Amino acid sequence: MAKVYNWQLGREMDYRFPNGKAKRQFAAVFNINRCIACQTCSMACKSTWTFSPGQELMWWNNVETKPYGGYPNHWDVNILALQEKANPGAQVWDAARRSGRAAPYGVFEGKTIFETADQVNNMVTGYIPPEADWKAPNIHEDTATAAPAAGVTLPEHGGWFFYLQRICNHCSYPACLAACPRNAIYKREEDGIVLIDQNRCRGYRKCVEACPYKKSMYRPSTRTSEKCIACYPRIEGSDPLTEGLPMETRCMAACVGKIRLQGLVRVDDRGEWIEDRQNPLYYLVHVAKVALPLYPQFGTQPNVYYIPPRWVPRPYLRQMFGPGVDDAIAAYTHPERETVAVLQLFRASQRIVFSYKIEPGPKTAEITVGGQKREIFNDTIIGYDSNGKEVVRVTVDEPTAERPGQLNSI
Amino acid sequence: MLILRRIPRWATTGGALVAVLLCAGLLQLANANPAASQTLTLTAWQASEDPGLDPNHELWSRTQFVQAPLTAQAGSYAAGGGSIPVVWARALHYNNTLYVRLEWEDSTQDGSALKVEQFADAAAVEFPAKSATSVPSVCMGQADMGVNIWQWRADSLGNPNELYANSVVDTYPSTDDLFYTARAAGNPYANPKQGPVQNLVAVAFGTLSPAATQDVQGQGAYSNGRWSVVFSRPFTGASEDLAAFTAGTSTDIAFAVWNGSEGDRNGRKSVSSFLTLNVSGAAIPEPEGSDWLVLALAAGALLVIGGGGIGLGLYGLREGKRSA
Ligand code: SF4
Ligand code: SF4
Ligand code: SF4
Repeated sequence: MAKVYNWQLGREMDYRFPNGKAKRQFAAVFNINRCIACQTCSMACKSTWTFSPGQELMWWNNVETKPYGGYPNHWDVNILALQEKANPGAQVWDAARRSGRAAPYGVFEGKTIFETADQVNNMVTGYIPPEADWKAPNIHEDTATAAPAAGVTLPEHGGWFFYLQRICNHCSYPACLAACPRNAIYKREEDGIVLIDQNRCRGYRKCVEACPYKKSMYRPSTRTSEKCIACYPRIEGSDPLTEGLPMETRCMAACVGKIRLQGLVRVDDRGEWIEDRQNPLYYLVHVAKVALPLYPQFGTQPNVYYIPPRWVPRPYLRQMFGPGVDDAIAAYTHPERETVAVLQLFRASQRIVFSYKIEPGPKTAEITVGGQKREIFNDTIIGYDSNGKEVVRVTVDEPTAERPGQLNSI
Repeated sequence: MLILRRIPRWATTGGALVAVLLCAGLLQLANANPAASQTLTLTAWQASEDPGLDPNHELWSRTQFVQAPLTAQAGSYAAGGGSIPVVWARALHYNNTLYVRLEWEDSTQDGSALKVEQFADAAAVEFPAKSATSVPSVCMGQADMGVNIWQWRADSLGNPNELYANSVVDTYPSTDDLFYTARAAGNPYANPKQGPVQNLVAVAFGTLSPAATQDVQGQGAYSNGRWSVVFSRPFTGASEDLAAFTAGTSTDIAFAVWNGSEGDRNGRKSVSSFLTLNVSGAAIPEPEGSDWLVLALAAGALLVIGGGGIGLGLYGLREGKRSA
């Protein structure tokens, strides 16, 4: 066992391997507030990677309705229950001990899935969801907790549901990798993408058992496990479409609701993000702090970050995203002028945006949100690719055009 | 069908006790030579005709067996197993080809791994690589002394749709090898042309890899709560990292059995230590009058590992043959 630093937990933790070399890390921000559950992302992934015999039950990207839905069913409550059983009553955070980038959400005082395992029979606490659990990927779609007769109001709706978009988190401390007795899983130095070597895998399913997000999946037609590959040819720029430049993945680029922004962030050998103020992901996660990791308490340091849904009861969200939830929702409800501009980059380009610049624009509106006055400025945000070349330019106010009445075909 | 008489309880419990003490991992850690524990000898007799791959071939019923105790793999992650306490092993050779037959009791026949929660029954035999100058660690060998493992699995490749008679698929855009990623990557485990036995090499935990040549054949049969499996390969190994056999000489052999319904796979299994494999130039001895020929009873062995002085206990064994 090695000691590694998990900044999402604000502390050191046990992991099977010491930190490796790392240059960049695949990361993404998903804005839950905007998802319409159209599943275009799920289909984009499926029609690219998992349409062959033996992959019928595989959805590397899935969108599930919380709190009841889940693919595989109940994956998260099952893991939470295992962890609670292993460390009853002690899976808690000390949110007061926040400090900078090293402990932005405070300190997790409970145990991770690595720390509750015996390290002899299992490296990680987990379970294998049986086949039946994978067969209803969109079960409980749009099912709310209640339908209050009086309707619902913010800040917390009396009846609620929300969509949770899920891919492999390309974790900094992957549970799948730690669990593989054959060292068939590896994490790439250049982009942090976690892959299963299909030549070495022997289908033991230790990764399926270990991944707390259940994003390693078994394929009986090859007797191996497969997982999201982060569309690595696009990330590498080797997809013919990309002309050699890093491009966002299929599920990101296809997103109809414009909820996804994905890129590569600079990390140090301890897995911490290196300051990169003008990287939009860095800004959202470490400066504005509107986006949070999913179940950080599992301990894998996942790299997909979520802007939590504004209307959902906070205890549920704190369990799912940690103690940073209240600040994140406040920062999203009453955003900084810069945050409003950065949110415009979502789905503005297929090319990965490595940095941005904002050109200030005039004030165009004044609105009131939750009793607080807010001014809207029509700023322009410019995104740059890995070579510093401009790839996108968008304004806060969406340009509109009015069609003359006589041309209206309706 | 070959039927074995029940083994007396004292023999199996004695074996299991020993096996627990014989912590494979300790041997590995201490880099100790487990030769001292090789109190069992399996003799491969010269057969008068080709036994083939059928585990129920008549020749086997005339061949003496060795009863090898198995225990849980306790030395290294992923540890566990131990639900199969004993395996009965026989060996023959014919026309410079070695045949090994294993038989064990398992009340659950796990012949499919189409569902993610299913694991198949399996068995393996392990030999030192030809290049090994001494007996390697039974736990996957070591850097300068590799092992050659032949693993048989009860399941075969399949599509989950096979489980559901009424399932419908519109179309699969392509079914070329490329779209079976592991197959395209050259993983023999994913190759439909691969038989039930894989030829593997290892030089430490976590290094098990397919051998360059896949020339080990085998066949399993299940009946009356028992598996019997035959492995076969020509004497000459295709490379230095594989086992080699010569009539009139000895090498080593170890066994492992996986019980699928117990979740056994990889390190989670029931394992033996090394036995001596004597490739005899002699024909199968004629049956004696007695029902069982007890060639050896419990043999004590004390193996001192490092300075620790860890005692290894009794090694219960029986080698016998069944009267015709
Ligand atoms: S494509 Fe975008 S909006 Fe549609 S379900 Fe996926 S994440 Fe949600
Ligand atoms: S989400 Fe699961 S499969 Fe993906 S890297 Fe993390 S542990 Fe591995
Ligand atoms: S990143 Fe690529 S492989 Fe992974 S879920 Fe999205 S589309 Fe699928």
